[in-house]
Amino acid sequence: MAEVVFGSKIMQLLIAFILVSTFMILGSTRLYSCVRAFGIQSFLLACVAGIVAYSTGKYDIYIVALLTLIIKSAVIPYIFIYIIREIKVKREVDLYVNISPSLIIGGILVVISYYLIRSISIISELSSLALSASVSLVSIGLFIMISRKKAIMQMLGILIMENGLFLGAISLTNGMPLLVEIGIFFDVLIGVLIMGILIFRINKTFESIDTDLLKNLIG
Amino acid sequence: MIAQIIFQIIIIIALAPLLSGIMKKVKAFFQIRKGPGILQPYYDIIKLLKKDSVISENVSWIFHAAPIISFAAVLTAGLLIPIYITQLSLGFAGDLIAVIYLFALARFFTALASLDAGSSFGGMGGSREMFIASLVEPALMLSIFAVALNVGSTNLGFISQTVSSLGFDAMSPYQILAFVALFIIAIAETGRIPVDNPATHLELTMIHEAMILEYSGKQLAIVELGAMIKQLLIYSLLANIFFPWGIATGGADAAEYVLALLIFVIKIIIIGISMAVVETSTAKWRLFRLPELLSISLMLSFLAIVAFIIVKGG
Repeated sequence: MAEVVFGSKIMQLLIAFILVSTFMILGSTRLYSCVRAFGIQSFLLACVAGIVAYSTGKYDIYIVALLTLIIKSAVIPYIFIYIIREIKVKREVDLYVNISPSLIIGGILVVISYYLIRSISIISELSSLALSASVSLVSIGLFIMISRKKAIMQMLGILIMENGLFLGAISLTNGMPLLVEIGIFFDVLIGVLIMGILIFRINKTFESIDTDLLKNLIG
Repeated sequence: MIAQIIFQIIIIIALAPLLSGIMKKVKAFFQIRKGPGILQPYYDIIKLLKKDSVISENVSWIFHAAPIISFAAVLTAGLLIPIYITQLSLGFAGDLIAVIYLFALARFFTALASLDAGSSFGGMGGSREMFIASLVEPALMLSIFAVALNVGSTNLGFISQTVSSLGFDAMSPYQILAFVALFIIAIAETGRIPVDNPATHLELTMIHEAMILEYSGKQLAIVELGAMIKQLLIYSLLANIFFPWGIATGGADAAEYVLALLIFVIKIIIIGISMAVVETSTAKWRLFRLPELLSISLMLSFLAIVAFIIVKGG
């Protein structure tokens, strides 16, 4: 496995910022700031992809970085904001677990994922940081899906998980084949559109996007 | 050596009101007001020093001693924090733990004095201050420890010197995370807007102002100056631990000292302006939402340490 030599310092910084942006999503109580933090996270991810592309010299990774920039940090946040605006949902994030405990649980998840990664014998500093960040993103995304009531946050959670997988893939393999990446992007975009339509349907049926209400029977 | 100590004290006392004045001016600029002049805090302190104190008959010696103890504690902390030079004459006497506890001592006596006069406002302010302190202190410790782990020493002068000699290599994830954490703590420690509003006097939301409500005249001048110095010191902690470039190391000549001092003033002003921007762009938070903000800071400094362990494979 070729190690990314150029900008390994910058990569470390970017990965740390990606973790910070995840905690921003975990720590904020407003839907808009969650979406904004997700946009920032995707932008940082595009920067990671750009650096990998530069250091390996593969042109197809530039395309991946560009796709990340356009789809994940512009189009998907726009769809989110469109949904929030259209269904006139209340701007607060409804929680099952409060902000402070969720932050602490997030921190514990990071530590757990670090210990999980340490048991794999990984050769370098950077890949261990990237991989543990990736696993923590996946687990924090899952935690967000579990602990938030609104359907929009569940959508955001699954996208954070996807970002985590993307981070792991791009920083460990120095880029998957372009065809695979494009397939994934297409999936994500279609997934977001379908979930958006689903949220509209939920809102139409229940007059709320609180997933708690999905347990109720409607005759 | 003695000259360095005296000079540092003079610089701290001279710059602290200036920083406060500049921040007030910047805030006034964003609120499209003219605002008081930059030198206004100096005039205020001089005016207060000329006045007599009105002291309640029911207070004990604590009320008289507290301003002096707090002021002395904060100023002593100032001698352990690198301001413009890393080779501190009193550097052997204490490290960052001493600094944190000197701040805690100052806070403790201010809170005690607020209870002493027996006014309900003072007691409320004191209890709120201690509530915030209990959240701020662990985060402050963890965030500086992340940097100390990186450098391998808890001596602030040594930390600043090492980071300065590393140059941009010092920019590591743990450093950045710890910086963001310490920035949030600095907001809470200096009583800036999401936590406390330094501009109010008669509101139920105030914290620091409620504690010192009973003070007047010379004692108030000392308390106010102590608060300004604490603010300056926390900002210089931010500046000289994370961006110590330009600080003078040992064996420099007079011209380098002057340059280092100028760079320090510029750094402090930049931090002060960014603090004022943060303050204008946010609203005051409810007291019971503050644990959220401070747990973000605690979590970030925790992440900084975890990132250090991940990268260095501790």
